[in-house]
Amino acid sequence: MSSYYLINLLIYAAVDAMACLGLSQQFGVGGVTNFGFIIFQAAGGYVAAILALPGTSANGGFQSYIGGLNLPFPVPWIGAAVAGGVLALPFTFLVGRRLRGDFAAVGLLVTAVLLNLLVTNYRPLFNGDAGLSLIPQPLQGKFDPTSSSYQWIFTAGAIVCCALVYLLVSRITNSPYGRSLRAMRDNDTVADSLGKNLLAMRTAMLVTGGAIAGLSGGILVSYITTWSPAAWGYAETVVLFAAVIIGGAGNHLGAVLGAVLVPVGFEEVTRYIPTSNNLPPNLIPSLEWVAIGLLIVVFLWLRPQGILPERKRVIKDAGAGPAVTASAVTAAAIPQPAGPPPPEPVTAEAGSAGQQGLPGPQDPRDPRDPQSGEVVLRVVDVTREFGGVCAVAGVSFEVRRGTVTGLIGPNGAGKSTLLAMLAGTLPVTAGQIRYLGQDVTGLPAYRRARLGLVRTFQLASEFKRLTVLENLLSAVPVNAGDSMRGALAGPRYWRGDEQAAVARARALLERFGLDGLANSYAGDLSGGQRRLVEIMRALMAEPRMLLLDEPMAGVHPNLARRIGGELISLAAEGLTVLMVEHELAIMDEFCDPVIAMAEGAVLAQGTMADLRGRAEVVEAYLVG
Amino acid sequence: MTIFLASLGFGLVTASVLAIAAVGFTLQFGVTDVLNLAYGAVMIAAAFIAYVVNQAGLSIWVGLVAAGAAGALGSVLLNAGVYTPFQRRGASPITMVIVSLGMTLIIEFGTQAIAGGTSVSYSMGQGPTVSAGGLVLSAVQFVVIGLSVLVMAGTHVLLRYTRLGKAMRATAANRNLARNCGIRTARVITLTWAITGALCGLAGVVFAMDAGSFDATSTDLFLIMILAAAFLGGPGQAYGAMLGALIIGLATEISAAYITPSYKYVIAFVALLAMLGMRPSGLLGERTG
Repeated sequence: MSSYYLINLLIYAAVDAMACLGLSQQFGVGGVTNFGFIIFQAAGGYVAAILALPGTSANGGFQSYIGGLNLPFPVPWIGAAVAGGVLALPFTFLVGRRLRGDFAAVGLLVTAVLLNLLVTNYRPLFNGDAGLSLIPQPLQGKFDPTSSSYQWIFTAGAIVCCALVYLLVSRITNSPYGRSLRAMRDNDTVADSLGKNLLAMRTAMLVTGGAIAGLSGGILVSYITTWSPAAWGYAETVVLFAAVIIGGAGNHLGAVLGAVLVPVGFEEVTRYIPTSNNLPPNLIPSLEWVAIGLLIVVFLWLRPQGILPERKRVIKDAGAGPAVTASAVTAAAIPQPAGPPPPEPVTAEAGSAGQQGLPGPQDPRDPRDPQSGEVVLRVVDVTREFGGVCAVAGVSFEVRRGTVTGLIGPNGAGKSTLLAMLAGTLPVTAGQIRYLGQDVTGLPAYRRARLGLVRTFQLASEFKRLTVLENLLSAVPVNAGDSMRGALAGPRYWRGDEQAAVARARALLERFGLDGLANSYAGDLSGGQRRLVEIMRALMAEPRMLLLDEPMAGVHPNLARRIGGELISLAAEGLTVLMVEHELAIMDEFCDPVIAMAEGAVLAQGTMADLRGRAEVVEAYLVG
Repeated sequence: MTIFLASLGFGLVTASVLAIAAVGFTLQFGVTDVLNLAYGAVMIAAAFIAYVVNQAGLSIWVGLVAAGAAGALGSVLLNAGVYTPFQRRGASPITMVIVSLGMTLIIEFGTQAIAGGTSVSYSMGQGPTVSAGGLVLSAVQFVVIGLSVLVMAGTHVLLRYTRLGKAMRATAANRNLARNCGIRTARVITLTWAITGALCGLAGVVFAMDAGSFDATSTDLFLIMILAAAFLGGPGQAYGAMLGALIIGLATEISAAYITPSYKYVIAFVALLAMLGMRPSGLLGERTG
């Protein structure tokens, strides 16, 4: 009897831990808040059941359901995982870039409530409210499911599945792809602007989490042999959320711990509450729910990181990497000798070999003649309206290769709005944007970033819970491990790319004097340091054109000068920069030409000295 | 035709109940920026308070007033004790929704722990019924419809013609800017919780009247209708919520007459998902993006 109790406990723990791991991956790492998580477990349960059950007429036909395929053992479990994953696909329309995360969460919650209602009321599908029963256990024709050895083997199987799931989510989370997921979680708009495909990543999270939840449901029904709507009310999702939050969102061990503490723990603790005749029948279950609600709120207040917080991913100093070739390291280190930035072009000697490690353009077509370079960006009559207010009204200009173009104007001139439209963060109301001869007006931000058109933000936009080094690495455009497939292929597949990227990032950090902070959380830095991180991160994205929104704001003047010098030298190598800035001294020193905007329109264009001589510019901006 | 008229009657009553609830919900979200999923739980808790008053031998209309007051007080406390501290700490919108879901469990099942799991009903007469064709409405149903019209008119007056209403709209549009313009946003937000909480309490009682019998979990599904009405009209838009409530209320009840009543929520659900997927700013909301 006690061995029966232990088996029961272990199987429930394995199933709950599996579900929590799926949720931890989805919510803790990917930041996708799926309040309908339980329906994926439910789907797995039902599919495993109807794959394993014989036709409806068996057992006297007392229950009705679709399927009834009577398939042998591994098929129902596989089917359960597939069902969970496939069920996730219709919901991807909720998690794209446009919908606020909390609205999407509400949509999923409502879906969970409604699906439960439908399955309860529609009997032909899964026998309605009464649910399915007499679900065959794995291989029950060949072995006796009531025997102790069968039950122990079943338990071992469940634990092995749980361990495999743990390895799977750990592999995903520890890969460069996992880093991209965490970047998306911390700030999705910024991740988008760095070339991350939010829709694809969120879809992957929904499908992965759904498949894991489905498998857990499949294993559960083949143990308890029944499955009904009462087992998967919407509130069950809240229990799993409570478990992940308490254990530690983003830490997979924490998810397992949470599963043991919350769903399993609650079940066990209430088992030992003496049943008294004086208590109303609903009191204990009601108080259980109250306790789960309290746990969520209290934990989010007192310890939002959970019992086991997300692990900080410290990347040790270079030199330990045998896989990376010596030439890659030196190439990365070469680009800039330390010290004040000499504005002379280094392109001549850096040539092609040095270029790979350079955080500059990959392919400057005409390095000898940057000043009169071709037009990189052509803006034609671009307009943006916000509910009748014209923030940008028919702006046209061109930016040539290798220039550092300044953009000035009073507050509300439409500079940041314009920059957001150029990068694709905001859609245009009218007009056209051509980049490198291609019409990019309709391209989403991440596609423009992949073409080398990269922006920074006016407000702090670091990924707070990534280290400085991870922030830089998150922007690397080409990394074999930065995709689901690459992540699954394992570290051996992407270590080379990763080490090259780390070397580049370290060289950049050294260049900007931030190497001491490489393994600090970006969220803990000062305002000026965060600006630097942001600029370095943009450079890591290998831009051909940088759109900088007040990069020097809040930065010490000496450092601002240093940044300006770096930009000039990068421009000499072929990078094109468009920069919004209020500090006119910076404009005088580094920017040529300068575009002046006011009230949504371009007022004038020329050198800063030119503009100072123009009455309309002086009136609109320089005076006040 | 008779079926249609009868369901039209039900639809009008449901829409009236829904309108009170949805206007409160959407104003709460618009001004305070909290997507308060515990709204349904507060509703049912208020309905139980009216029940206690009713059981004490007082008229249910006294209970209605008590529930409104309790809803207002409870919501102000909920905000001051839970939501504001989290917001002040910079909690993300998604964290706020998770907190509100936790509060849903605490309030809903706390109510169940106290009230027990059984269904209860108010003791009240339905009054004489009026019928025209197939349209049959009891006196109580007329009062519910009248109350709803009154609440809508009151909301309109509040938002259009009072300083508080103007301050609420300013706070909803841009809280920081409103504060910088000298609006005491903290006070406006507290008052908003009081007003919307009172609407929530009223809605709870008329919902319970309309349902006949209720228990602590009765508003789980009604919350979906509230969300659907609010999102149909555009979250934060009071007039949108009125329109949304009318559409959802009529659509669910009329569809219930022709298909099985257990599926009537499906219309609300489809409307909600369609709006979220295609036009999250709602029918009356601004077009963004």
